Amino acid sequence: MSSENYIALSGKENGTRIESRVLEEKIQAAVAQGHTHIKIEAYGQHGIGGRLWQAGENKVHVRIDGPAGQRVGSMGSANTRIEVIGTTSDDVGWLNAGAEIVVHGHAGNGVANAMAQGKIYIAGNIGARGMTMTKANPRFAPPELWVLGSVGDYFGEFMAGGVAIVCGHEGQNPKNVLGYRPLVGMVGGKVFFRGPHAGFSQADAKLLPIEDDDWEWLADGLRKFLVNIEQHELLFTLLTQREQWQCLQARTPQERIGRPKRAMASFHSEVWDRTLGNGGLVGDLTDLDRSTIPLITRGELRRFVPVWENYKYKAPCEASCPTGIPVQERWRLVREGRVDEAVDMALAYTPFPATVCGYLCPNLCMQSCTKQSAFMAPVDVTQLGQASAKAKTPKLPPLSGKRIAVIGGGPAGISVAWQLRLNGHEAVVYDTAARLGGKITGSIPESRIPKEVLEKEIDRINEVIPHVHLQQRLKKTDTDQLIADYDFVVVAAGAQKPRTLPVSGSERLTTALDFLRASKQGRAKVGKRVVIIGAGNVGCDVATEAARLGAEDILLLDVQKPASFGKEREEAERVGAQFRWPVFTQAIVDEGVQLDSGEVIPADSVFISIGDAPDLAFLPDDIAVERGFVKVDENYQTSNRKVFAIGDAVRPGLLTDAIGAGRQTARIIDDVAAGRRPTADPRTIIDVTRINLEYYDPRVVTYEDLDHCGSQCASCGQCRDCGICVAACPESAISRIETEDGKFEYAVNADRCIGCGFCAGACPCGIWNLIENTPQE
Amino acid sequence: MLPDRPVTPSTLSVKDLPWQIMWAKDKCTLCGRCTAVCPVNAIELGVFRQRTLSASIDPNQAPSNVYKVYHGIRQKTDPAYGCVGCAMCNLVCPNDAIIPMRSDEADKLRFHVNRGGQPRSRGGRRNVAGGLLDQIKFIRISMLTDPALDAGRHEFELRTLLGRVLPPEENIKFYKENGWIPPVREIYPLIIGSMSFGALSPNMWEGLQLGVAYLNEELGMPVRMCTGEGGCPPRLLRSRFLKYTILQIASGYFGWDEIIHALPEMVEDPCAVEIKYGQGAKPGDGGLLMWHKVNKLIAAIRGVPVGISLPSPPTHQTKYSIEEAVAKMIQSMYMAWGFRVPVYPKISGSSTAMAVLNNLTRNPYAAGLAIDGEDGGTGAAYNVSMNHMGHPIATNIRDAYLNLAMLGKQNEIPLFAGGGVGKNGNLAANAAALIMLGASGVQIGKYIMQAAAGCLGSEGDRCNICNIGRCPKGITSQDPRLYRRLDVDMVAERVVDAFLAFDMELKKIVAPLGRSTALPIGMSDALGISDYHAAERLNIKYVV
Repeated sequence: MSSENYIALSGKENGTRIESRVLEEKIQAAVAQGHTHIKIEAYGQHGIGGRLWQAGENKVHVRIDGPAGQRVGSMGSANTRIEVIGTTSDDVGWLNAGAEIVVHGHAGNGVANAMAQGKIYIAGNIGARGMTMTKANPRFAPPELWVLGSVGDYFGEFMAGGVAIVCGHEGQNPKNVLGYRPLVGMVGGKVFFRGPHAGFSQADAKLLPIEDDDWEWLADGLRKFLVNIEQHELLFTLLTQREQWQCLQARTPQERIGRPKRAMASFHSEVWDRTLGNGGLVGDLTDLDRSTIPLITRGELRRFVPVWENYKYKAPCEASCPTGIPVQERWRLVREGRVDEAVDMALAYTPFPATVCGYLCPNLCMQSCTKQSAFMAPVDVTQLGQASAKAKTPKLPPLSGKRIAVIGGGPAGISVAWQLRLNGHEAVVYDTAARLGGKITGSIPESRIPKEVLEKEIDRINEVIPHVHLQQRLKKTDTDQLIADYDFVVVAAGAQKPRTLPVSGSERLTTALDFLRASKQGRAKVGKRVVIIGAGNVGCDVATEAARLGAEDILLLDVQKPASFGKEREEAERVGAQFRWPVFTQAIVDEGVQLDSGEVIPADSVFISIGDAPDLAFLPDDIAVERGFVKVDENYQTSNRKVFAIGDAVRPGLLTDAIGAGRQTARIIDDVAAGRRPTADPRTIIDVTRINLEYYDPRVVTYEDLDHCGSQCASCGQCRDCGICVAACPESAISRIETEDGKFEYAVNADRCIGCGFCAGACPCGIWNLIENTPQE
Repeated sequence: MLPDRPVTPSTLSVKDLPWQIMWAKDKCTLCGRCTAVCPVNAIELGVFRQRTLSASIDPNQAPSNVYKVYHGIRQKTDPAYGCVGCAMCNLVCPNDAIIPMRSDEADKLRFHVNRGGQPRSRGGRRNVAGGLLDQIKFIRISMLTDPALDAGRHEFELRTLLGRVLPPEENIKFYKENGWIPPVREIYPLIIGSMSFGALSPNMWEGLQLGVAYLNEELGMPVRMCTGEGGCPPRLLRSRFLKYTILQIASGYFGWDEIIHALPEMVEDPCAVEIKYGQGAKPGDGGLLMWHKVNKLIAAIRGVPVGISLPSPPTHQTKYSIEEAVAKMIQSMYMAWGFRVPVYPKISGSSTAMAVLNNLTRNPYAAGLAIDGEDGGTGAAYNVSMNHMGHPIATNIRDAYLNLAMLGKQNEIPLFAGGGVGKNGNLAANAAALIMLGASGVQIGKYIMQAAAGCLGSEGDRCNICNIGRCPKGITSQDPRLYRRLDVDMVAERVVDAFLAFDMELKKIVAPLGRSTALPIGMSDALGISDYHAAERLNIKYVV
């Protein structure tokens, strides 16, 4: 290196080190004066040789002897070539923007940090964090760093461009030329290196084969590098053995998305299951499939399953009818055009379908009709009841040999005898009256029940039931004889003993029962002014009959709000009867009724209708009585197991109560006779919220005819066979199936069903239910 | 309701419920998926009547009235079927036609969930959003004052110690006198806290364990998971994975005879034994696994017959005093593994925590103390216990740490903090705050359920039905039809993701403090808060 044309600048003046600023000013002044060769005797000054752009196109050569400070050639210009004679400090070529820097020795930490253009040649090793944060600007050639030896730790961190060449020649650590953790955060550029390494950031960099072009470039560069650092040609041969070189390059952003990580499935099968055994953690404890399933499942995997619960529950009408008539089924028959069957069906439940259902019954079925829950008119069962006058007498089965005596030919007695006969048992009714029917024929006013309807039903009954007309009342011994003669005895003697008041003048009272009987036989008389003590339904009947017989001023008294209701009450009110309460009768006087207040209500006739009590004088002593009524258990059995009791003899009730008790008792006797434990109907009433009434017109007030009734019946708990469920099912899982007996059912294809419950939601009749699937374990 | 029925005190309208189902008739395809998936049967297909009046004043056009029926989704108002807001309906809806919306006012259901005199119980956390931990800031950012580290570039090894660390001179003395020094584990400072096999479904539990094993064996992160009370599957007990497991013993001792039977066959010691005395979510209360959850699998692991209810009493039956109870439990559990396994108690956050801690300082066997604060989650507890009982974790941990510091033992008994860590999603920040307040590590439960399995529960009282076995994500159910919704591998992957992300965030917090290996335990000068009283109470900087 010739020094002839060099201007010499010293970092010392008068034996004292000058500040970096002063040396910099001197260098810049020299360049300004046109000097292109500057020789500097450095004394640790900072940043020597950088920023010499004012030389423009002219090449400036800077030679540094002595100890240079940090950042030699920082912000170097492309026109500058710097040579450091010997080893130098940190950050050589910091933010180099084009200078060529040669270090004839080792360099400290941070070589080429943030370099963007230019070349740095190091004739020895470099310290930590070399080639970090380097850039490559597309407007210029990429920067290069050539290192003859090895590089220190954290080499190439955040390297974003440029090329580094590490020759690994006589490096500091012959076992690792790249130092500890090189290339962390590298995003661009290349590193060629020769010699062993101890790993690099796999996430950021990858090893690549050296292509021919690369090698050509590298070999060419090596030659220039060796010239620059004044090395012997011999070294070129040593360094240019291609197989010794490797190339590291930054991963592309696309490549670094998937960091090399073992797949969990592979870890699961090859490590986890291999260690624990098949089925993993609990494979030894359960055989259950634990593989993944979707949110919407079918078949066995459904959480809920629909069930077609046809006839599982009683409709409210059926459940509330003491007689137990399945009204909804009769309407189904009507809907199906089988009116005759609907009519005849009633006879399986009651011998009085027209008389009671059609006229006399308060129709509890209608009171409890589901449609009432939405303020809709209940389906009118009286139409069906009245049509039942035409019901044909059922075919009777042959007799079983069992014989039952029924004491009492009223509604309870007739009902039990009727049912027993339908079941094949012989039932003989004993009654003091010449005609069967009890109060129905004996005392209920004709205004309440057309005579021809009643006659027709009594005729039908007479065809079925043998009747023994007793001319006198039974005595205890007679009853004992009946018990001995028959398999069972049913006491259905009713309440024949009118209750009266223990007040003075009570002998002036006429009992309601006497009056109504007499009236029915056409031999009753009343005055103009009538007072009736007891304003119940019988009292109302008395009022109606009294009016028919000419009474003009009718008053019903009661100690409390009158309990009368329904048709009886309406009739009484229609004939102008007045009600007065609460009043308490003190005495019956000539003028009429005297109250405890002293007031006397004038009356020509005074009737008493405060209920009737049974006359049980005929009962043997072994039959327990309680408060004047026969004591029975839940099976209507008295304390004598052969003797049953029903109707008003047990507790006062409606006609339908008596008929229902008769029907149940017949079934119990049938069971007991056959040696079976008495069975009860296990069905309970349906939850009416299961019924969808939205399908019906809420503005229907009256029903025109039987067909209209049938069409508007909600058919609670009984499938209408409408097929709405089939249509509502989003998975087409429901189908209608004809069964062998000519019936039908709706079935669910479990493999299609998702358990959404739409069938249950849409069903008008509350047939479908959604239940939890059987637990899996 | 039916129009003829009287209203009862508990007759509610949709408006009275905490969640209202918004259903769009025009978008609904009536596919049935929402009603099929609803965990609580809050919705059903409804039949609706629509009426149209044709009204003209033209006398030649008689006014008419037409009824039409349509079908749609109806929300039930019976309190027993109240919507819980899980939004599974929305998840399965192909048309985005249905979604539960939170009521815009306090619901009325809360006054009627106690029918039959049974107060509400539920799963989840205290229904209080927010929290002190989120308010704590890391105010010490070392740029030039300390060697500032770069979370992305520098190497970090964030580990903590579980076990009694005696001072060197004491250690030597102890060794000379006893021939033994307390075992200490170097573990990751974020621990999956105690959630039992039974409280969690098999798929969830296995997913967590699998993820933990992966973190240990593939990624070199020594993450540990506590079994909770309810035993440990026999295969795990007999595998090397046991070393990633902290076995919990609680007042019901369920599964412990199975653990004892497995002892001779164990190939590794467990990481530690946690003695549970209390739980932050329901302090002072025990647990009850209902009989219907005790199926064949649970029964086998717990060592009980199938189909019986399993009560864990609020207290250990043989506990009479701190001195006696803690000391003898710690001794017993140490003996099981030949004094090779650290044993520490876990208590619920409490104003009496210092008494327990002081007792432990005098017991050289005590390997640490875990404190579970009021914000902790649970699978089942009375609402009142969850919402109103317990102690905030921050002051408990701080007091405990300062107490140890006063005794000069702050590096000797590690404190582990739990209870609502990360409840608003700020896991690393909450954990770092607790560590700098004095915790050696933190325990999480609910967070990992949310992060790893998509738990829907929230402090807005969403879902929170872990107690009824109908978890819509299959996390807390023993019903295969529900837990098979959970893919074991995907849970494990999410565990790994959550821990890696936590690790990065923790680094981002501790790097500016110049910490890369030793955790900044108790480094409270780095903490600040804009609440003056909280700053005073916690003895950290008040910054505004």
